[in-house]
Amino acid sequence: MAGKYDTSEFRNGLKVEIDGQPFVVVYFQFVKPGKGTAFTRTKLKNMITGSVIDPTFRTGEKVDAAEVDEIEMQYLYADGDNHWFMNLENGEQLPVNSKAIEEESKYFIDGVMVKILFFKGKAINVELPNFIEDVIEYTEPSVRGNTATGATKSAKLACGASVQVPLFVEQGETIRVDTRTAEYVARVKK
Amino acid sequence: MEPALLRARARCLSALRRWFDAQGYLEVHTPTIVPTPAMEEHLEPVCAGDAFLHTSPELAMKRVLAAGLHRIYQICPCFRAEEQGVHHRREFTMLEWYRAGAGTPELMDDTEALIAACAEAVGVPAPRFERVPVSELIDPGLDPDAWFFRWVDEVEPRLHAPTIVFGYPPWQAALATVRDGVADRFEVYLGGLELANAFAEEPDPDVIRARFAASAAARTAMGRRPHAVDERFLAALPAMPRCAGIAMGVDRLVMALTGAKDIAAVVVP
Repeated sequence: MAGKYDTSEFRNGLKVEIDGQPFVVVYFQFVKPGKGTAFTRTKLKNMITGSVIDPTFRTGEKVDAAEVDEIEMQYLYADGDNHWFMNLENGEQLPVNSKAIEEESKYFIDGVMVKILFFKGKAINVELPNFIEDVIEYTEPSVRGNTATGATKSAKLACGASVQVPLFVEQGETIRVDTRTAEYVARVKK
Repeated sequence: MEPALLRARARCLSALRRWFDAQGYLEVHTPTIVPTPAMEEHLEPVCAGDAFLHTSPELAMKRVLAAGLHRIYQICPCFRAEEQGVHHRREFTMLEWYRAGAGTPELMDDTEALIAACAEAVGVPAPRFERVPVSELIDPGLDPDAWFFRWVDEVEPRLHAPTIVFGYPPWQAALATVRDGVADRFEVYLGGLELANAFAEEPDPDVIRARFAASAAARTAMGRRPHAVDERFLAALPAMPRCAGIAMGVDRLVMALTGAKDIAAVVVP
């Protein structure tokens, strides 16, 4: 039996279960109208679908804790329907439905270590490392003399993701990308 | 604590005092430690030995009105246990003022003029307030629990524009007079923050005593300790002139004028 959280325990990052779905608290606020009782306003992000709901709770109301576990695993390969991962501690291999991790899988470089999130024993999502480094597979050649600051062009990485890069970055170079914002960080010398 | 915001706060405080001086209001000080706190259903006082820190100077200021001073204000720390968040602190600064011979419309005028003076002091444009009856925002027939839930969940999040909300359901009268089934009260919203709460003050000690008894019963039912009735206040009430009064959170006023998101930024935490 999972535990329960009182609204006073709400913190960003807390994982709760509502209507059988796991949510993570991304915002909470104590509210107290002039002559009334206290409430907690929240924004909760569904850990499976990514959609955000904004329920208000009465003070003292209890919410189920979501049983979410995470295990660090290495990405192996993709077949038709699944992406496969391996737990390096025991060699166990695990398939995760490719559709559920479509966004994240764009950043799966060879051998990347990710955190697999399990809800009630079922793998529901992956958490990428904050930064990855990968080779630019294709980008337009730089135009000599174009030094406009802030101008960018699109670059496709070997892993499949597309990011905007500064104009001086060339095809074949390795770059560092922030997976949380899908933004170029820097060139990496290899 | 942000130095620029503490400067803005100091400019607000001095603008407030200049405004009250110019309007003929007298600054008073009432005790911070009180033998019995105001009987509020949903406020928990901070204990001070065998007494309490005041949750607001309301009852004591009405005794000052009864003693014959007819335009008074006070800027003081108030204390409410159990309140903590980006808009709440257990210790916060309250501005209260009372005006004899006035009703809530005159206090609305005061409020707008005084906020304009503070806006000028911190160098932002004076907000233009809309005055909206509560009944236009929410079904007045809802029971208290549903009313507050709807208010917090749906109504308040949409009050972005500077708004004075007036005319509350009678069960929310607190110490305000009730006329034609409507409590003669208003609240002030600025920058989405509930800034102030005002009453046309109920003068009848018997009516107030009955409301205190109802609040005490409600507190007992919620498992909160009821407070002793403030008899000095009730004894003074017959001498209190017809008046209106308002309590405004100074920390929140500074937040609303500067755009600060966390109350901790405008005080020394």
